[in-house]
Amino acid sequence: MNAFKRDKKEEEEGGGNPFQNLEKTTVLQEARTFNDTPVNPRKCAHILTKILYLLNQGEQLGTTEATEAFFAMTKLFQSRDVVLRRLVYLGIKELSSLAEDVIIVTSSLTKDMTGKEDLYRAAAIRALCTITDGGMLAAIERYMKQAIVDRSPAVSSAALVSSLHLTSVSSDIARRWAYEAQEALNSTNVMVQYHALGVLYQARKTDKLAVIKLVAKLMRTSPKSPYAACMLIRMACKLLEDMEEGEDSMLGFIECCLRHKSEMVVYEAAHALVNFGKSGLKEIGSAISVLQLFCGSPKPALRFAAVRTLNKVAMTHPAAVTACNLDLENLITDSNRSIATLAITTLLKTGAESSVDR
Amino acid sequence: MNRASSSKSSQHNLIQYSPVLNDLYESEPTLYTVKGMAILDNDGNRILAKYYDKNIFPTAKEQKAFEKNLFNKTHRANAEIIMLDGLTCVYRSNVDLFFYVMGSSHENELILMSVLNCLYDSVSQILRKNVEKRAVLDSLDIVMLAMDEICDGGIILDADATSVVQRVALRTDDIPLGEQTVAQVLQSAKEQLKWSLLK
Repeated sequence: MNAFKRDKKEEEEGGGNPFQNLEKTTVLQEARTFNDTPVNPRKCAHILTKILYLLNQGEQLGTTEATEAFFAMTKLFQSRDVVLRRLVYLGIKELSSLAEDVIIVTSSLTKDMTGKEDLYRAAAIRALCTITDGGMLAAIERYMKQAIVDRSPAVSSAALVSSLHLTSVSSDIARRWAYEAQEALNSTNVMVQYHALGVLYQARKTDKLAVIKLVAKLMRTSPKSPYAACMLIRMACKLLEDMEEGEDSMLGFIECCLRHKSEMVVYEAAHALVNFGKSGLKEIGSAISVLQLFCGSPKPALRFAAVRTLNKVAMTHPAAVTACNLDLENLITDSNRSIATLAITTLLKTGAESSVDR
Repeated sequence: MNRASSSKSSQHNLIQYSPVLNDLYESEPTLYTVKGMAILDNDGNRILAKYYDKNIFPTAKEQKAFEKNLFNKTHRANAEIIMLDGLTCVYRSNVDLFFYVMGSSHENELILMSVLNCLYDSVSQILRKNVEKRAVLDSLDIVMLAMDEICDGGIILDADATSVVQRVALRTDDIPLGEQTVAQVLQSAKEQLKWSLLK
């Protein structure tokens, strides 16, 4: 009866979900097709997609099942179909925590990461690093350093992000690869610059002087990437919090970011200025006027961000937020209920009796 | 054997950090920005979802409970952003699909928004603007690859939809055999012959 109902619903939708009612055992049986030569890329890609779908739905695989599927999957390295190869990388990442002896694919992945095809290299690096343990690290170190300074942004980013993940395998990995990361920091690609900054911070965060030097240098050139700029603002804030006396140049830099062309950076700077204790009234004032502008934005996320931050400042500097009362009153009827609620609670902290009537 | 098990434990640590670090999140700058991404259908069922922090929703059961809750709170009001269970969730919907990106409540909302836009635009370009459940299921493999290119273990890998699509829109063999060029047929014949010789 139930099945009948479902069929009917599927018909209404115009053909059912091809991934509905998949049986784990059946799919794993189908995975035996991976052993056939020559590999049928279309068919194998479809089966592999089913396995990945099941894992994504939260299906539990036992160690034996996972290992069997993993080993069957390694046979697919014979095929040169790009989509299939990329799905194999995904499969390796998904199964690496479930299957045994996953290091069997190390040489295949190393070959792909040093090969000619850029589309393989970046993804192969990321897959390789998920199966890498302390013992293997030395073997791939040379390739990783090369990949970080590679001219392809995808490859460089993949290597930088992977080296952050590898911190859990070896805590000093970022420091060992810092020289290469420093070079990647000069990249014109916005994401590479961001990832390089993340690795450099990881490498130096225990050495405050080194962080100060890094931040000071970047502040002068002002990173092109908005993500890197946000990260830099956070790093500067962290330094300012620990410093005995406020460093004017850093505070000045954050204030300067209020005029950045990316809203993301402007908001990050305003948020930073109002959130830590050392900014003066002048800085808080300019930050609040930016947030006031955001309150009238057509984008709900921007209004939300602004009112949430104002709500927080109202605790420490209620007088400074009073200037925004009119804008906040407009937000009480906002269609997004979170924004309306935040506006009301902020007004309760700043509003005077006179505004209650309106 | 031993090495494999040690790699297993390290893998487990990959996307995990201690609760203490989590508390310091606001003050410690980090690239680990995204807590999760999800694509749900119009019944709130998961089509694809990834969670990057083992401390929140460690098992599929908790994840799905969260998704149901999130869907119930968001499917009627198209309000773009909501706070739920201590997470900032940004979302967007189209026809019968809902796209979500989750981050810590201390995270810059606009960064999360840029990830959501990238996810939506990438899927839209992959499906040639046909953003529907059926189309996603038909190209599920490519959509999976795209999600993997956008976020790696919680770090934003790429937030530019065009470049994400370039990295994953790899399918060239959409053409049936009859319409393939001579060169393509020769290439696949060569492949087949090579493998039969190697056997």
